Formats: sequence, C-alpha cells, structure tokens
Amino acid sequence: MSIISNSRFIYVHDNNKHAVDTHHIIAQRSAVKPIVTYLLAILIVAHALFLHLEKGKPVTTVIWSFFFGAVLVKLLIWRPIVKESVIIMPEFGVQLETHYGSGKINRRFIPVSKILKPVLNECVTPVTCCWCLSFLIRDGNELTLVFKKFRPPLKMLVPIWKALCVATDCKESFEFQEDG
Amino acid sequence: MEFKEGKHSILMVSDFFYPNFGGVENHIYLLSQCLLKLGHKVVVMTHAYANRSGVRYMTNGLKVYYAPWKPFLMQNTLPTFYGTLPIIRTILIREKISLVHGHQAFSTLCHEALMHARTMGYKVIFTDHSLYGFSDIGSIHMNKVLQFTLADVSQAICVSHTSKENTVLRSGLPPEKVFVIPNAVDTTMFKPAPERLSMDPIVIVVISRLVYRKGADLLVEVIPEVCHLYPNVRFIIGGDGPKRVRLEEMREKHSLQDRVDMLGAVPHAKVRSVLNSGHIFLNSSLTEAFCIAILEAASCGLLTVSTRVGGVPEVLPDDMIVLAKPDPSDMVHAIKKAIRILPHIDPQEMHRRMKEMYSWHDVAKRTEIVYDRALRCSNQSLLERLPRYLTCGAWAGKLFCLVMIIDFILWRLLQLWQPDSEVEPVPDFKRTELKTEVRK
Repeated sequence: MSIISNSRFIYVHDNNKHAVDTHHIIAQRSAVKPIVTYLLAILIVAHALFLHLEKGKPVTTVIWSFFFGAVLVKLLIWRPIVKESVIIMPEFGVQLETHYGSGKINRRFIPVSKILKPVLNECVTPVTCCWCLSFLIRDGNELTLVFKKFRPPLKMLVPIWKALCVATDCKESFEFQEDG
Repeated sequence: MEFKEGKHSILMVSDFFYPNFGGVENHIYLLSQCLLKLGHKVVVMTHAYANRSGVRYMTNGLKVYYAPWKPFLMQNTLPTFYGTLPIIRTILIREKISLVHGHQAFSTLCHEALMHARTMGYKVIFTDHSLYGFSDIGSIHMNKVLQFTLADVSQAICVSHTSKENTVLRSGLPPEKVFVIPNAVDTTMFKPAPERLSMDPIVIVVISRLVYRKGADLLVEVIPEVCHLYPNVRFIIGGDGPKRVRLEEMREKHSLQDRVDMLGAVPHAKVRSVLNSGHIFLNSSLTEAFCIAILEAASCGLLTVSTRVGGVPEVLPDDMIVLAKPDPSDMVHAIKKAIRILPHIDPQEMHRRMKEMYSWHDVAKRTEIVYDRALRCSNQSLLERLPRYLTCGAWAGKLFCLVMIIDFILWRLLQLWQPDSEVEPVPDFKRTELKTEVRK
C-alpha cells in the first residue's frame, strides 16, 4: 500500500487484493478551518442579534445573518464528495466510485473493451490550470472523466494512469513524436 | 529537456495569435520557432478563439495556452485589471518561465500580463508593432495605458527607428531601453516565378486590407489615371474591406473591368502566387510602422512603389523601391518612374539580396541579446519600483501606484491561498524525431 498526500488530497494505492487494483483519492480534512469558520458564523449571528436587540434593527437582519452564516459554512467546510476511487479489474473493466458526505455512493462501470485509451489532459480554466485523467471511449464523442469533481495533482494521477494503461493494454507514451 | 547555460524560458503574450492571421501573429509564431531552434523554451499565451480553448501544441513543440477569456472588442480580452492574475501566475510557475515578452500596444491581455509579471518579480520585454497618433481621444487613452505598462518594463523592442521614436514619445520611455529589431520575411516561401513574365502587359499588384488606414482612397484616384496614361498596364487587387465598394464603383465608372481584377480576400498561402503574377507592387498605406507586405513583394522579385510614411523608407534599399508622398499625383509620378526602370530589374537578384538582408534567424539572435540584457537588470522591490509610476502624471502617477499596490496585495493573498509550492511544474516532454525512411 502506498500513500501520497498534499494539503488538499490523500492518495492511497491498495493492491493487497491480487486480482483487483484499487486507487483512492480522499479529500483532506483540516482541523482548524471548521473551528474558525463556525466561530466566524457565530460572530456574524451574534452581531446581528446585538443590532436587533440594542440598536433596534428589524428581525430580518438576524434572518439574513443566519443565511449568510450558513452559506459561509457550506462554501468553506461542507465537502459534498469525500472520496473518489478507481477500481481496476484486469481483463474485465474499471469501476469508478464517488463517495458523498451524506453516505451515498455513485458507481460507474466501464468494460475494458470500451476503453480506447486512458489520457492525461491539461485543462485550462479562467483562473488556473490542472490535469485531468480521462478515458477515450470507443465510438464515443466526448472524454469520460475518471474523477468527477476532484482535481488531484499530477504526482497522484500518474501512477493511476500507468496502472490503467497496463490494464487496458495501451503503450504509455510521454514522448511526442514528430515526422522528421 | 535539461536547460543549458544561457538558455531562457520565454512566455509570449498577446491577444493576437493563430488561428488569426496577421503581421503580429506571424511575427510571434516565426520568432518563437527560431528561438526554439536556438535551444530556448517558448510558451505562448493568448485568449480562446471560438471553440479553440485549452492547451495546444504547434510545430516543434511550441505550447500555446488558449486561456478561456472571451474577446470583447476587436480581438481584445475584456480588461479586468486583476482578473487574469491567477491564471498568469499559475502559467509562470508551472512552466518555470524566466521572462515574459508581450506584443502589441493594442492588446489588453499583453498589458495585464506584463503588469502581473512585474508584480511577481519577472523581467518583462515589450514589442510594439504599430504606430499610433497623439491627438484623438482613443490614442490619448491608449498612450496613457502604454505609459503605465512601459514605466517599469525591463527592455522594449520596436520594428523600425520611426516606430522607436513614436513609442518613446508616446510612453516617455528612455531611448536607451529601446532596441530596434526589424521584422523579416520567410524567403523560402516567397520566391520569384522561375520564368520571368513578359513585359506586355505590365501588371501592378495591390494586396492589402481595403480600409482607410491602408490608403484605399488613394487607389481610387491613382488607378484610373495610370490606366489612362499607359494602355498596356493592368491592376490586380487582392484583399477585402469596407472600401472595396469604392473601388468597384471606380471600376464601373471608368469601364476598367478588363484592366482591373478584384480578387477579394486572399489567403496567406496564396499570396505568393498572386505576387508572382505581377511586375510592380503598389502600397498606398497612410501609416505603417514597418510593412512586411513590401518585404514579401521584394522577395518575390517585384519592384515596389510605396507611400513614404512611417518606417517604410527603412525597409528596402533605394534601388528596390520608389517612394512617393501620399498624394495621387505624386504616386502616379512614382509609378511612371517604376515602369521606366522596370526592364533593369532582375527578380532573381532581388530575391538573393533579400535572402541576405532579412531572416527570422537573425531576428531571433538579436532578440536573444535583448533577453540577455533584460535578465541582467537588477531585481527591485515594490517600494523601489513605485517612484517610476509617479512620473506618469500628477493624478495618473498616483493612480498607477495604487493599482500596483493593490496588485501586490492580491498576489500575496493568492500566495497564502495557494502557495507557490502547490503549483506543480509541468514535466518537460522529450521530442523524438522520426527518421524518414528512404523508399526505393
């Protein structure tokens, strides 16, 4: 079992079960961030209550402050997805799992015959660049993302990509060739 | 790819790049290709075009970032001042860039990138490709923005001495910081026809955008006069634009349909064949910093007749070009002179001389010298750099200082949110060249 971690994700590679190769990406949980965020939310509500009780502001101020505090907690702490996994069953296929905070698990299975090639793509958004691991599906128009929401760093994606290449029998190529 | 001593990692930034076609786009692409051949690493950043967004690789591994910021006016990205800071910071760190080279004063992405790069301590270079005015409201604002960007640039490059004078006056940049590196032409692509054309009829070629700036109105006066004086002269006009209608009307009015061919927009790949069908190239621009079109014409062995504006007199030697004032009668006089000296012109000789005078490899080597000079400039902190902005004007100076201070604060906040160590560098891909098989 090998583990790689950074401030946002932990990568766990579990190949103890001989037939099946499992790779997990787990969202990091910080200890300090929830405490600070809850304190901030409580402060906002307390301030609104003070304004209502002492300064005579309308009760809608308190309601808005609750709403604002809830939004803050949701944005900064609430993680809808806690873990995404890739389970590789050689000769058979790949199962992609998404584990939600509510306990729900979403599973997608892709048979090995449908996978043309696993690719590592560089994606550019208006604010940043990231790497995405996806499948080229036979007879498909679009790439299928392996990780729905998580964007783990390249050092975690490369071992998963290599394992997928081996399982789907594709030659790895990280050189690009040019006609001479 | 291990980086050798003296080799740089350059980020070229502009709103103008392929798939758009034009002088600036061509310049960036060809300069990048020559710098790659010299062993440097070059990455280009521009905005997304239609559905072309993300990372693309061009010939020789030239990496292009099409950042998904949509253009809002004349190919320019919406100026948000600080909106592009995160993406530019990410690209600079992950590609391990050592200097940033911005192109074209009319590119908002270029100005923003240079501002953010300076805030983050990178050395920046700016290349100005066009001449601008001083008096109209658009130019006044553009010049103020240029003053801001160039207040703290490491070095600047202009494409002609006239352009250098124009840029120095507009921006207040000290002339010692400005290098003059002319554009060049791909002489392997622009070659004369193998067989010399017969002198009857004499064909005069015009290839340009048919807009006011390119002197389309002058053509309307000049063409009928020349056709009247010389019955054996024909015109070929390539290009499109708002003034095309005026030229069509002129053709109808003087019944010149069989003597003036209007080709419409000519794709860049077909320009050579159009040039090779003529003897004389006519350029009637009202303003031009350099004019690559006349280089292409001279490389194809055509004698050039041009208006004496901007940087045009610096481009070709006196025996390859006839200059005239941007006035119809003076231009007709120049065309008369050109027709007289045409029999003495040897297209192959002209092409050979152009090959020796202009090459993109030479431009790349000279640009390398500018890069070396820029990297030798001292690193300065924000406080040391702010006084440069104060010289931009009584109110403007203070505003610019404020803009830079806010940019600095935003950069530090961004570093707290996502430290530099969290931005993963991109692995350098090895290029392997396939050897072509010799088929028997």
